Amino acid sequence: MKVIDFSDVHYSYKQGSDVLRGISFSLEAGEVVGLLGKNGAGKTTLMRLAMGMMVTSQGSVQLFGLDPRRDALDVKRRVGYVSEDQVLPEFLSVGEIIRLHRGLFPTWDEGLERRLRERFALSPKAKIKTLSKGQARQVALLCAVAHRPEVLLLDEPAGGLDPSARREFLETSIRLLNEAGTTILFSSHYMSDVERMAGRIAMIHEGRLLIDNSLDDLREKYSLALVPRGSGDRQNQLLGLKECLSVRDQADAIHAIFRCEPERCRSILEKGLDIHNSFCTPIALEDMFIELVGGRS
Amino acid sequence: MELHINPGDELPIYRQIMRQIIDAVAGGRLQAGAQLPSHRELAEQLVIAPLTVKKAYDELERQGLIVTQRGKGTFISERLPDVDPAKRRERLRDAAQRLLSQAALSGVPLADVFGLLEEMQKGMER
Repeated sequence: MKVIDFSDVHYSYKQGSDVLRGISFSLEAGEVVGLLGKNGAGKTTLMRLAMGMMVTSQGSVQLFGLDPRRDALDVKRRVGYVSEDQVLPEFLSVGEIIRLHRGLFPTWDEGLERRLRERFALSPKAKIKTLSKGQARQVALLCAVAHRPEVLLLDEPAGGLDPSARREFLETSIRLLNEAGTTILFSSHYMSDVERMAGRIAMIHEGRLLIDNSLDDLREKYSLALVPRGSGDRQNQLLGLKECLSVRDQADAIHAIFRCEPERCRSILEKGLDIHNSFCTPIALEDMFIELVGGRS
Repeated sequence: MELHINPGDELPIYRQIMRQIIDAVAGGRLQAGAQLPSHRELAEQLVIAPLTVKKAYDELERQGLIVTQRGKGTFISERLPDVDPAKRRERLRDAAQRLLSQAALSGVPLADVFGLLEEMQKGMER
Protein backbone atom coordinates (compact mmCIF):
# COMPACT_ATOMS: atom_id res chain seq x y z
CA MET A 1 0.00 0.00 0.00
CA LYS A 2 1.21 3.48 -0.83
CA VAL A 3 1.55 5.30 2.47
CA ILE A 4 2.94 8.51 1.03
CA ASP A 5 2.28 9.37 -2.59
CA PHE A 6 3.66 12.38 -4.44
CA SER A 7 2.10 12.59 -7.87
CA ASP A 8 3.35 15.12 -10.41
CA VAL A 9 3.90 17.66 -7.65
CA HIS A 10 4.58 21.22 -8.75
CA TYR A 11 5.18 24.13 -6.43
CA SER A 12 6.18 27.73 -6.93
CA TYR A 13 6.65 30.48 -4.39
CA LYS A 14 6.13 33.07 -7.05
CA GLN A 15 4.70 32.70 -10.51
CA GLY A 16 7.09 31.60 -13.21
CA SER A 17 9.76 30.13 -10.94
CA ASP A 18 8.89 26.58 -9.95
CA VAL A 19 10.77 25.05 -7.06
CA LEU A 20 9.25 21.64 -7.80
CA ARG A 21 8.54 20.74 -11.41
CA GLY A 22 6.71 17.46 -11.46
CA ILE A 23 7.92 15.20 -8.65
CA SER A 24 6.42 11.72 -8.51
CA PHE A 25 7.39 8.98 -6.09
CA SER A 26 5.77 7.01 -3.32
CA LEU A 27 6.63 5.14 -0.14
CA GLU A 28 5.26 1.72 0.72
CA ALA A 29 4.53 0.84 4.35
CA GLY A 30 7.75 0.33 6.31
CA GLU A 31 9.99 1.91 3.69
CA VAL A 32 12.72 4.33 4.70
CA VAL A 33 13.58 6.82 2.00
CA GLY A 34 16.40 9.35 2.19
CA LEU A 35 15.60 12.59 0.41
CA LEU A 36 18.69 14.27 -1.00
CA GLY A 37 19.25 17.55 -2.78
CA LYS A 38 21.24 20.73 -2.48
CA ASN A 39 20.06 23.55 -0.25
CA GLY A 40 17.03 25.10 -1.86
CA ALA A 41 16.29 22.02 -3.98
CA GLY A 42 12.83 21.78 -2.44
CA LYS A 43 13.22 19.02 0.19
CA THR A 44 11.61 21.08 2.94
CA THR A 45 8.85 22.13 0.53
CA LEU A 46 8.04 18.48 -0.20
CA MET A 47 7.87 17.66 3.51
CA ARG A 48 5.65 20.64 4.23
CA LEU A 49 3.34 19.70 1.37
CA ALA A 50 3.05 16.24 2.92
CA MET A 51 2.23 17.83 6.29
CA GLY A 52 -0.47 19.95 4.68
CA MET A 53 1.37 23.12 5.70
CA MET A 54 1.42 24.22 2.06
CA VAL A 55 -0.61 23.48 -1.08
CA THR A 56 0.72 22.15 -4.40
CA SER A 57 0.31 24.44 -7.39
CA GLN A 58 -0.27 21.33 -9.52
CA GLY A 59 -0.38 17.59 -8.84
CA SER A 60 -1.24 15.97 -5.55
CA VAL A 61 0.17 14.63 -2.30
CA GLN A 62 -1.62 11.88 -0.41
CA LEU A 63 -0.94 10.15 2.87
CA PHE A 64 -2.80 6.90 3.55
CA GLY A 65 -4.87 7.84 0.49
CA LEU A 66 -6.01 11.02 2.29
CA ASP A 67 -5.52 14.67 1.47
CA PRO A 68 -3.25 16.24 4.13
CA ARG A 69 -5.22 19.49 4.00
CA ARG A 70 -8.80 18.32 3.64
CA ASP A 71 -8.31 15.45 6.08
CA ALA A 72 -5.80 17.35 8.20
CA LEU A 73 -6.77 15.91 11.56
CA ASP A 74 -6.87 12.28 10.41
CA VAL A 75 -3.51 12.65 8.70
CA LYS A 76 -1.75 14.57 11.50
CA ARG A 77 -2.76 11.99 14.10
CA ARG A 78 -0.93 9.32 12.12
CA VAL A 79 2.19 11.37 11.30
CA GLY A 80 5.18 12.60 13.27
CA TYR A 81 7.19 15.57 12.03
CA VAL A 82 10.57 16.93 13.08
CA SER A 83 12.35 19.72 11.25
CA GLU A 84 15.55 21.63 11.75
CA ASP A 85 13.85 24.99 12.16
CA GLN A 86 10.98 23.76 14.32
CA VAL A 87 10.25 26.25 17.05
CA LEU A 88 8.89 25.08 20.38
CA PRO A 89 7.18 27.69 22.56
CA GLU A 90 10.01 29.01 24.70
CA PHE A 91 7.98 29.92 27.75
CA LEU A 92 6.66 26.37 28.27
CA SER A 93 8.39 23.65 30.23
CA VAL A 94 9.30 20.24 28.81
CA GLY A 95 6.53 18.66 30.88
CA GLU A 96 3.93 21.14 29.64
CA ILE A 97 4.79 20.58 25.99
CA ILE A 98 4.64 16.82 26.44
CA ARG A 99 1.28 17.09 28.22
CA LEU A 100 -0.06 19.25 25.40
CA HIS A 101 0.89 16.61 22.81
CA ARG A 102 -0.39 13.78 24.96
CA GLY A 103 -3.81 15.41 24.95
CA LEU A 104 -3.84 15.77 21.17
CA PHE A 105 -3.10 12.15 20.29
CA PRO A 106 -5.41 9.29 21.29
CA THR A 107 -2.67 6.75 20.53
CA TRP A 108 -0.10 8.36 22.86
CA ASP A 109 2.20 5.72 24.43
CA GLU A 110 3.12 6.80 27.96
CA GLY A 111 5.65 4.00 28.33
CA LEU A 112 7.53 5.16 25.25
CA GLU A 113 7.29 8.77 26.44
CA ARG A 114 8.86 7.83 29.78
CA ARG A 115 11.58 5.74 28.14
CA LEU A 116 12.60 8.53 25.78
CA ARG A 117 12.47 11.14 28.53
CA GLU A 118 14.82 9.04 30.62
CA ARG A 119 17.05 8.19 27.70
CA PHE A 120 17.41 11.83 26.71
CA ALA A 121 17.67 12.84 30.40
CA LEU A 122 15.02 15.54 29.97
CA SER A 123 13.81 17.21 33.13
CA PRO A 124 10.04 17.95 32.92
CA LYS A 125 10.50 21.19 34.84
CA ALA A 126 13.12 22.64 32.50
CA LYS A 127 11.90 25.58 30.43
CA ILE A 128 12.39 25.23 26.68
CA LYS A 129 14.42 28.42 26.50
CA THR A 130 17.05 26.98 28.86
CA LEU A 131 17.60 23.87 26.70
CA SER A 132 20.50 23.34 24.32
CA LYS A 133 19.76 22.93 20.62
CA GLY A 134 20.25 19.18 20.93
CA GLN A 135 17.93 18.86 23.91
CA ALA A 136 15.23 20.92 22.19
CA ARG A 137 15.44 18.64 19.15
CA GLN A 138 15.09 15.65 21.46
CA VAL A 139 11.91 17.13 22.94
CA ALA A 140 10.63 17.62 19.38
CA LEU A 141 11.51 14.02 18.51
CA LEU A 142 9.79 12.71 21.62
CA CYS A 143 6.64 14.67 20.75
CA ALA A 144 6.82 13.44 17.16
CA VAL A 145 7.09 9.75 17.97
CA ALA A 146 5.36 9.05 21.31
CA HIS A 147 1.97 8.70 19.63
CA ARG A 148 3.54 5.92 17.57
CA PRO A 149 2.87 7.46 14.18
CA GLU A 150 2.72 5.28 11.09
CA VAL A 151 4.72 7.87 9.19
CA LEU A 152 7.69 9.98 10.26
CA LEU A 153 8.71 13.03 8.26
CA LEU A 154 12.17 14.09 9.35
CA ASP A 155 13.45 17.23 7.72
CA GLU A 156 17.15 17.60 8.41
CA PRO A 157 16.51 16.31 11.95
CA ALA A 158 20.18 16.17 12.89
CA GLY A 159 21.06 19.63 11.59
CA GLY A 160 23.10 21.52 14.17
CA LEU A 161 23.40 18.58 16.53
CA ASP A 162 26.75 17.40 17.85
CA PRO A 163 27.92 13.90 16.87
CA SER A 164 26.72 12.21 20.06
CA ALA A 165 23.24 13.80 19.90
CA ARG A 166 23.06 12.80 16.23
CA ARG A 167 23.95 9.23 17.08
CA GLU A 168 21.37 9.20 19.86
CA PHE A 169 18.78 10.42 17.38
CA LEU A 170 19.72 7.67 14.91
CA GLU A 171 19.64 4.98 17.56
CA THR A 172 16.17 6.07 18.65
CA SER A 173 14.95 6.04 15.06
CA ILE A 174 16.38 2.54 14.46
CA ARG A 175 14.70 1.31 17.61
CA LEU A 176 11.36 2.70 16.45
CA LEU A 177 11.83 1.03 13.08
CA ASN A 178 12.49 -2.23 14.88
CA GLU A 179 9.45 -1.92 17.10
CA ALA A 180 6.89 -0.58 14.70
CA GLY A 181 8.10 -0.69 11.11
CA THR A 182 7.43 3.03 10.77
CA THR A 183 7.48 4.50 7.26
CA ILE A 184 10.10 7.25 7.20
CA LEU A 185 10.90 10.03 4.75
CA PHE A 186 13.92 11.99 5.88
CA SER A 187 16.40 14.47 4.54
CA SER A 188 19.91 14.96 5.80
CA HIS A 189 23.19 16.42 4.69
CA TYR A 190 24.96 13.70 6.65
CA MET A 191 25.44 11.02 4.01
CA SER A 192 26.57 8.43 6.54
CA ASP A 193 23.28 8.87 8.44
CA VAL A 194 21.35 8.46 5.20
CA GLU A 195 23.33 5.32 4.40
CA ARG A 196 22.65 3.85 7.81
CA MET A 197 18.91 4.48 7.76
CA ALA A 198 17.64 4.52 4.20
CA GLY A 199 16.73 1.63 1.95
CA ARG A 200 16.00 3.94 -0.92
CA ILE A 201 17.28 7.29 -2.14
CA ALA A 202 15.26 10.02 -3.82
CA MET A 203 17.48 12.80 -5.15
CA ILE A 204 15.93 16.03 -6.36
CA HIS A 205 17.70 18.57 -8.48
CA GLU A 206 16.36 21.59 -10.32
CA GLY A 207 12.84 20.70 -9.34
CA ARG A 208 12.92 17.17 -10.70
CA LEU A 209 13.56 13.71 -9.36
CA LEU A 210 17.02 12.79 -10.62
CA ILE A 211 17.37 9.45 -8.82
CA ASP A 212 14.86 7.10 -7.26
CA ASN A 213 16.66 3.86 -6.48
CA SER A 214 17.49 1.47 -3.71
CA LEU A 215 20.73 2.39 -1.97
CA ASP A 216 22.21 -1.02 -2.77
CA ASP A 217 21.43 -0.58 -6.46
CA LEU A 218 23.15 2.79 -6.44
CA ARG A 219 26.28 1.06 -5.20
CA GLU A 220 26.08 -2.04 -7.36
CA LYS A 221 24.43 -0.88 -10.55
CA TYR A 222 25.93 2.57 -11.06
CA SER A 223 29.47 3.56 -11.87
CA LEU A 224 31.75 6.50 -12.30
CA ALA A 225 33.81 6.60 -15.49
CA LEU A 226 36.90 8.75 -15.73
CA VAL A 227 37.34 9.45 -19.43
CA PRO A 228 40.40 11.28 -20.77
CA ARG A 229 39.58 14.32 -22.86
CA GLY A 230 39.91 13.30 -26.49
CA SER A 231 39.21 14.73 -29.86
CA GLY A 232 35.74 16.04 -30.62
CA ASP A 233 32.97 16.84 -28.22
CA ARG A 234 33.44 14.02 -25.74
CA GLN A 235 30.91 15.39 -23.26
CA ASN A 236 28.08 15.29 -25.76
CA GLN A 237 29.19 11.94 -27.13
CA LEU A 238 29.00 10.57 -23.61
CA LEU A 239 25.61 12.15 -22.94
CA GLY A 240 24.41 10.53 -26.15
CA LEU A 241 24.81 7.09 -24.56
CA LYS A 242 21.56 6.03 -22.99
CA GLU A 243 23.26 4.67 -19.84
CA CYS A 244 25.07 7.97 -19.19
CA LEU A 245 23.33 10.07 -16.56
CA SER A 246 25.64 13.07 -16.26
CA VAL A 247 29.03 14.38 -17.26
CA ARG A 248 31.32 16.82 -15.58
CA ASP A 249 34.53 18.27 -16.94
CA GLN A 250 37.12 18.05 -14.20
CA ALA A 251 40.80 18.85 -14.08
CA ASP A 252 41.93 15.23 -14.29
CA ALA A 253 39.41 13.91 -16.82
CA ILE A 254 35.77 13.94 -17.77
CA HIS A 255 33.70 12.38 -14.99
CA ALA A 256 30.61 10.52 -16.17
CA ILE A 257 28.00 8.69 -14.13
CA PHE A 258 26.64 5.54 -15.75
CA ARG A 259 23.52 3.61 -14.94
CA CYS A 260 25.26 0.21 -15.08
CA GLU A 261 28.02 -1.70 -13.31
CA PRO A 262 31.69 -0.80 -14.03
CA GLU A 263 32.39 -3.82 -16.25
CA ARG A 264 29.54 -2.96 -18.56
CA CYS A 265 30.39 0.70 -18.44
CA ARG A 266 33.89 -0.08 -19.73
CA SER A 267 32.55 -2.21 -22.56
CA ILE A 268 29.97 0.41 -23.56
CA LEU A 269 32.72 3.01 -23.79
CA GLU A 270 34.89 0.66 -25.86
CA LYS A 271 32.18 -0.45 -28.25
CA GLY A 272 30.16 2.74 -28.41
CA LEU A 273 32.82 5.44 -28.49
CA ASP A 274 36.03 3.50 -29.12
CA ILE A 275 37.43 4.74 -25.81
CA HIS A 276 39.91 2.22 -24.44
CA ASN A 277 41.60 4.16 -21.69
CA SER A 278 38.71 4.91 -19.37
CA PHE A 279 38.69 4.02 -15.68
CA CYS A 280 35.34 2.72 -14.40
CA THR A 281 34.60 2.19 -10.74
CA PRO A 282 31.72 1.79 -8.30
CA ILE A 283 30.82 5.01 -6.56
CA ALA A 284 29.91 5.91 -2.99
CA LEU A 285 26.74 7.89 -2.30
CA GLU A 286 28.51 11.09 -1.32
CA ASP A 287 30.58 11.14 -4.53
CA MET A 288 27.51 10.33 -6.58
CA PHE A 289 25.70 13.26 -4.99
CA ILE A 290 28.55 15.62 -5.83
CA GLU A 291 28.87 14.29 -9.38
CA LEU A 292 25.15 14.55 -10.07
CA VAL A 293 24.07 17.77 -8.46
CA GLY A 294 27.44 19.50 -8.45
CA GLY A 295 27.95 18.73 -12.13
CA ARG A 296 25.08 20.67 -13.55
CA SER A 297 24.49 24.23 -12.57
CA MET B 1 31.65 -11.69 17.21
CA GLU B 2 32.32 -8.04 16.51
CA LEU B 3 31.08 -6.60 13.24
CA HIS B 4 32.08 -3.23 11.87
CA ILE B 5 30.42 -1.40 9.07
CA ASN B 6 31.53 1.62 7.14
CA PRO B 7 28.55 3.54 5.73
CA GLY B 8 30.66 5.50 3.23
CA ASP B 9 32.17 2.38 1.65
CA GLU B 10 31.52 1.52 -1.98
CA LEU B 11 30.42 -1.93 -0.85
CA PRO B 12 26.74 -1.93 0.20
CA ILE B 13 26.26 -2.34 3.93
CA TYR B 14 24.45 -5.67 3.56
CA ARG B 15 27.47 -7.00 1.64
CA GLN B 16 29.84 -5.74 4.33
CA ILE B 17 27.86 -7.75 6.88
CA MET B 18 27.81 -10.84 4.65
CA ARG B 19 31.51 -10.63 4.00
CA GLN B 20 32.39 -10.37 7.68
CA ILE B 21 30.22 -13.31 8.65
CA ILE B 22 31.66 -15.40 5.81
CA ASP B 23 35.20 -14.41 6.88
CA ALA B 24 34.44 -15.35 10.49
CA VAL B 25 33.14 -18.77 9.43
CA ALA B 26 36.09 -19.31 7.10
CA GLY B 27 38.54 -18.34 9.83
CA GLY B 28 36.86 -20.56 12.43
CA ARG B 29 35.82 -17.67 14.68
CA LEU B 30 32.21 -18.68 14.08
CA GLN B 31 31.63 -22.42 14.41
CA ALA B 32 28.83 -24.47 12.92
CA GLY B 33 25.76 -24.16 15.11
CA ALA B 34 26.82 -20.84 16.63
CA GLN B 35 23.92 -18.45 17.17
CA LEU B 36 23.85 -15.05 15.51
CA PRO B 37 22.07 -12.04 17.02
CA SER B 38 18.58 -11.48 15.62
CA HIS B 39 18.47 -9.06 12.72
CA ARG B 40 16.81 -6.49 14.98
CA GLU B 41 19.48 -6.82 17.67
CA LEU B 42 22.23 -6.50 15.12
CA ALA B 43 20.52 -3.47 13.56
CA GLU B 44 20.50 -1.71 16.94
CA GLN B 45 24.06 -2.74 17.67
CA LEU B 46 25.37 -1.44 14.33
CA VAL B 47 22.87 1.47 14.18
CA ILE B 48 21.64 0.62 10.72
CA ALA B 49 18.22 -0.10 9.26
CA PRO B 50 16.84 -3.51 10.30
CA LEU B 51 15.90 -4.28 6.69
CA THR B 52 19.56 -4.04 5.71
CA VAL B 53 20.54 -6.73 8.22
CA LYS B 54 17.60 -8.82 7.11
CA LYS B 55 18.76 -8.57 3.53
CA ALA B 56 22.24 -9.82 4.53
CA TYR B 57 20.77 -12.71 6.54
CA ASP B 58 18.35 -13.65 3.74
CA GLU B 59 21.18 -13.73 1.25
CA LEU B 60 23.40 -15.83 3.56
CA GLU B 61 20.49 -18.17 4.14
CA ARG B 62 19.92 -18.48 0.41
CA GLN B 63 23.58 -19.45 0.06
CA GLY B 64 23.13 -22.07 2.77
CA LEU B 65 25.58 -20.51 5.21
CA ILE B 66 23.06 -19.78 7.94
CA VAL B 67 19.71 -21.22 8.93
CA THR B 68 16.81 -19.58 10.72
CA GLN B 69 14.76 -21.71 13.05
CA ARG B 70 11.37 -20.21 13.69
CA GLY B 71 11.11 -18.98 17.27
CA LYS B 72 14.66 -20.04 18.09
CA GLY B 73 16.94 -17.78 16.15
CA THR B 74 19.55 -17.70 13.44
CA PHE B 75 22.50 -20.09 13.42
CA ILE B 76 25.56 -20.93 11.38
CA SER B 77 24.70 -23.97 9.27
CA GLU B 78 25.74 -27.36 10.65
CA ARG B 79 26.44 -28.45 7.12
CA LEU B 80 28.11 -25.79 5.12
CA PRO B 81 27.12 -25.77 1.47
CA ASP B 82 29.14 -27.72 -1.07
CA VAL B 83 30.20 -25.33 -3.74
CA ASP B 84 31.00 -26.71 -7.17
CA PRO B 85 34.86 -26.79 -7.17
CA ALA B 86 35.05 -25.21 -10.62
CA LYS B 87 32.83 -22.37 -9.48
CA ARG B 88 34.85 -21.98 -6.32
CA ARG B 89 38.03 -21.65 -8.36
CA GLU B 90 36.35 -19.17 -10.69
CA ARG B 91 35.28 -16.98 -7.81
CA LEU B 92 38.76 -17.08 -6.33
CA ARG B 93 40.21 -16.15 -9.71
CA ASP B 94 38.19 -12.90 -9.69
CA ALA B 95 39.44 -12.00 -6.23
CA ALA B 96 43.02 -12.90 -7.19
CA GLN B 97 42.78 -10.79 -10.33
CA ARG B 98 41.75 -7.76 -8.29
CA LEU B 99 44.52 -8.38 -5.77
CA LEU B 100 47.16 -8.63 -8.51
CA SER B 101 45.93 -5.48 -10.28
CA GLN B 102 45.98 -3.58 -7.02
CA ALA B 103 49.48 -4.83 -6.25
CA ALA B 104 50.71 -3.87 -9.72
CA LEU B 105 49.15 -0.40 -9.43
CA SER B 106 50.78 0.24 -6.08
CA GLY B 107 54.08 -1.26 -7.18
CA VAL B 108 54.08 -4.05 -4.59
CA PRO B 109 56.31 -6.97 -5.74
CA LEU B 110 54.77 -10.45 -5.97
CA ALA B 111 56.93 -11.77 -3.12
CA ASP B 112 55.42 -9.17 -0.79
CA VAL B 113 51.94 -10.20 -1.91
CA PHE B 114 52.69 -13.80 -0.91
CA GLY B 115 54.06 -12.56 2.40
CA LEU B 116 50.90 -10.59 3.01
CA LEU B 117 48.70 -13.60 2.22
CA GLU B 118 50.62 -15.76 4.69
CA GLU B 119 50.39 -13.10 7.34
CA MET B 120 46.63 -12.80 6.84
CA GLN B 121 46.15 -16.55 6.90
CA LYS B 122 47.79 -16.62 10.33
CA GLY B 123 45.57 -13.77 11.42
CA MET B 124 42.46 -15.68 10.36
CA GLU B 125 43.41 -18.76 12.33
CA ARG B 126 43.88 -16.85 15.51
